[in-house]
Amino acid sequence: MSGSFGQNTWSMLTLKVLECKNLTKWYGKEVLALNEVSFDVDEGDFFVIIGPSGCGKSTLLKVIAGLLDYNSGELFIKGSDVKQIPPHKRDISMMLENYALFPHMSVFNNISFGLKMLGKDRSTFDKDVKDSLRLVGMEGYENRSPLELSGGQRQRVALARALVVNPAVLLLDEPLSHVDYRLQRKLMEELKLLHQRLGTTFILTTHVQEHGLSLAETLMVMNTGVIEQIGKPDEIYTRPQTVFAARFVGDINLFSGEVSGRQGGVYVVKTALGDLKVAAAAGKDYTGHKLAYGVRPEAIVVGEEALKCENHVQAKGINSYYFGNTVECVFEMAGGVTMKATMAPEVAPTLMRGGAVLGWSARDSMLIEKPSVIEGLNIEEVIYGK
Amino acid sequence: MKLSDVGIRVYVAFFILLVYTPIILMIVLSTNTSGRISFPYEGFTTKWYDAKPSGFEYGSYISAYYDWAFWIAFQNTVYVAFAAAMMTTIIVTTVAMTLRHRIFGRNALFYIILLGFLVPGVALGLGNNILFRMMNWQFTWWIAAMLDTVYAVPFGLILMMARFDPDLMLYERAASVLRASPFSVFRRVTLPLIKWEVVSAAIFGFVLAWGELIRTNFVARGTGVISTYISTQLAINPITPKWYAVGTIITGISIIALVFMGWVLSRGQK
Amino acid sequence: MAQGPVPSPAKKTSGFRVGGYSSYLLLVPGLTIATIFMILPLAIMTVVSFYTTAPSSTGYLEIFTTKNYIDFFTAPNTPTLLVNTFSLALIAAGICFAFGFPLAYFLTFRIKNATFKNYVITLLIVPFLIDASIRTVAWIAILGKDGIVNYALMSIGAIHSPLTALLFSRNTLYIIWLQTYIVFMEFPIYLAMNRIDPDLIWAAKVLKAPPHRVLYDIVFKLSLPGIICGFVFVFVSTLGDYVTPNLWAGGVQTLGLSVSRYSDNFLWPYASVLSTMLLIISVIVLFISFKVVDIRKLVYE
Repeated sequence: MSGSFGQNTWSMLTLKVLECKNLTKWYGKEVLALNEVSFDVDEGDFFVIIGPSGCGKSTLLKVIAGLLDYNSGELFIKGSDVKQIPPHKRDISMMLENYALFPHMSVFNNISFGLKMLGKDRSTFDKDVKDSLRLVGMEGYENRSPLELSGGQRQRVALARALVVNPAVLLLDEPLSHVDYRLQRKLMEELKLLHQRLGTTFILTTHVQEHGLSLAETLMVMNTGVIEQIGKPDEIYTRPQTVFAARFVGDINLFSGEVSGRQGGVYVVKTALGDLKVAAAAGKDYTGHKLAYGVRPEAIVVGEEALKCENHVQAKGINSYYFGNTVECVFEMAGGVTMKATMAPEVAPTLMRGGAVLGWSARDSMLIEKPSVIEGLNIEEVIYGK
Repeated sequence: MKLSDVGIRVYVAFFILLVYTPIILMIVLSTNTSGRISFPYEGFTTKWYDAKPSGFEYGSYISAYYDWAFWIAFQNTVYVAFAAAMMTTIIVTTVAMTLRHRIFGRNALFYIILLGFLVPGVALGLGNNILFRMMNWQFTWWIAAMLDTVYAVPFGLILMMARFDPDLMLYERAASVLRASPFSVFRRVTLPLIKWEVVSAAIFGFVLAWGELIRTNFVARGTGVISTYISTQLAINPITPKWYAVGTIITGISIIALVFMGWVLSRGQK
Repeated sequence: MAQGPVPSPAKKTSGFRVGGYSSYLLLVPGLTIATIFMILPLAIMTVVSFYTTAPSSTGYLEIFTTKNYIDFFTAPNTPTLLVNTFSLALIAAGICFAFGFPLAYFLTFRIKNATFKNYVITLLIVPFLIDASIRTVAWIAILGKDGIVNYALMSIGAIHSPLTALLFSRNTLYIIWLQTYIVFMEFPIYLAMNRIDPDLIWAAKVLKAPPHRVLYDIVFKLSLPGIICGFVFVFVSTLGDYVTPNLWAGGVQTLGLSVSRYSDNFLWPYASVLSTMLLIISVIVLFISFKVVDIRKLVYE
């Protein structure tokens, strides 16, 4: 536990709207959904939780909302312990994954439901509902029934419904998951705009890495009930602390290796590809350690340029995938090891079957010490799969 | 939250108590040595079940085992119950099968079947009575069985349809695409999947036949079936614990059958 | 059924057809039985209600007359009869609801274990299937002069002579009907509640609804079809139950009772009139409620 004095001062300086300390939740006796999860959310932040299905993000959200109870730990919303406080008394609002619009009420009544429960004056309903409909671009839909709406429309109504009560925190459970690609992009933009306009703290979950990276001001990567890493998206992307986190936020080429020595500001790592170099950070000396060596596909260059790089290997092109704005090429090296590289279409080698040289700098590579926050995993098994 | 939890449990417990106390009392008091039908409880005895008659008792004083009229009624009820069970099964299955498709008159059919238990028992009883007298048809046990069937079918139907696997029609379609004849589709695909519900329908029909009085009264007078036997006897004879003994026996059968049905249904849910 | 982004299952059109008219063939047993034992009797009964009472072999002459109906509508005790019958059934349904709704709620939301649920359901059905006479006799053991209630009350000194009003009053009827027909109320409500998407309850909670509002705005309103169904079922069943009032009602007369009395005396036409009136009331009630509530939703999909 960090020093209590420092913690409290820091808490006073940046308003924490949500604090979770060692939250643990079991489903029955066998399924551990949350394993001593601890993290804080700053006020006004756009906080995104990403992780694979079943990692506990939905459970976490429901625990924060008060819909599910937790076994141990502490939960503070705006500084107060909410263990005894039921969901309808917490200053949070939520948009559920399947929207859960009340089928027996019109759109108007759906949205004004929260206001009604809060005991607000009826005469203000009209204005508030209209305002929130305008916010999500659904003016004029007041009298429709939810059953008549399309999926995207229902989602907006659900969003409006959650926002109209002016919560301190808005929880969104996988809002982008059941929507087609183009709508996803649009929705992401709208969410970002909404967040900027309203200043409400958003906490959003998704299993799609791109959404996480582009929406988040703070990103949290989860893995079966534990937090792999929290930080700014670019931090996690360029300096992942675990193999899991590295993999989850983007494509990466990984090899297990042993640090054989240090030359200047660079480690030399013995891998299946030979000796590779990676920039050494100040602090702990990793010489002699077995870790993961990683380099992202976009950092790799092919051809003449490659020979000028600190790391280069001979490779044979196997496949390429065209994405319009980039091309992803798969290469094979001696020993059957494969690597992915992405590059602009113009640069992509036209002759894939021939040999090529791949190169990347030590600065673009990363050294990852832990396979995952979860104890007892073998780094090689995590990299290459069992 | 906690308080409402406790509250509702108390409520449910109270209700179960309310509903089951008579039954439990009946079972307990059927062993009462006193000839009165209520408290106080004087001693344990099985005389109301199996005491040998000395030749002078009548009606309510003959123990259950030796009451020939009772056993005759019992036997009749068994016939009726089995007949009802059989008919219920057939009708429930056939109707449930067809109701899934959008055939002409689907709604009308559904409502007609539903009428089976929605129509006041008196009306059906009276109507059947008049009809049969008019046509000079025989009042056999089959009629009582039919009335019970008409009453039980809606239950069995709703039960079956509520428990239908939504993929059933897909399986059937797949089978028929694979050139299976309609009959073998039924036999190999449908039946195994719904067999537990079918069995429950049968059990329901069976059990219902034992307790049905309102309609049966009109077609099986006197000592015919158990329910009419008891009601006529009670009307002319004093009430003694012997009737508790009789009731216990009958209730026992119903409970066993129903527990069995509960088990069957839980099998079907897998 | 969950709404929202989950697409509904592929449209179930006529799907597998047994082949042409075979579907209709399957209906033969059901329809025959229904016609012979239900439709025909009711029709005949209505017809007989228009026949003249006469001391013939059948008890009536096949001569059309409206005398029976006139007698019925002008008889002095008819209004009381109707009011009694109606109010008894209505209150009985109300009491069944008061118990049935919490019971259904308990079954749906408070029992998680499926096997246990099945057994509780069975437990609830049992009282329904107990023979009518036995059930009534068993109640004597509780409410009678020497019954448990009086016994207990006397032994703690609350009363000094046994209450006789416990038996043979309208209240007895209600208790017995509760025990008998609670199933009819219970199950439709349970079926309706079962179909409520649990996410809706969560959404309501998160939208600041306190528990009692969740109960009313969500659970109650969404199980309304089941509630109305249950209400109607109990109402109609108690309407035609003459066995119970026969033994217990003391002086209360109901339509059903009168029917049985007149049939006992072979006065078929008049009995038919009463019975037809009963039928008409039931049909009207059913018709109205099925317009309001679509029972098919509970069953078809």
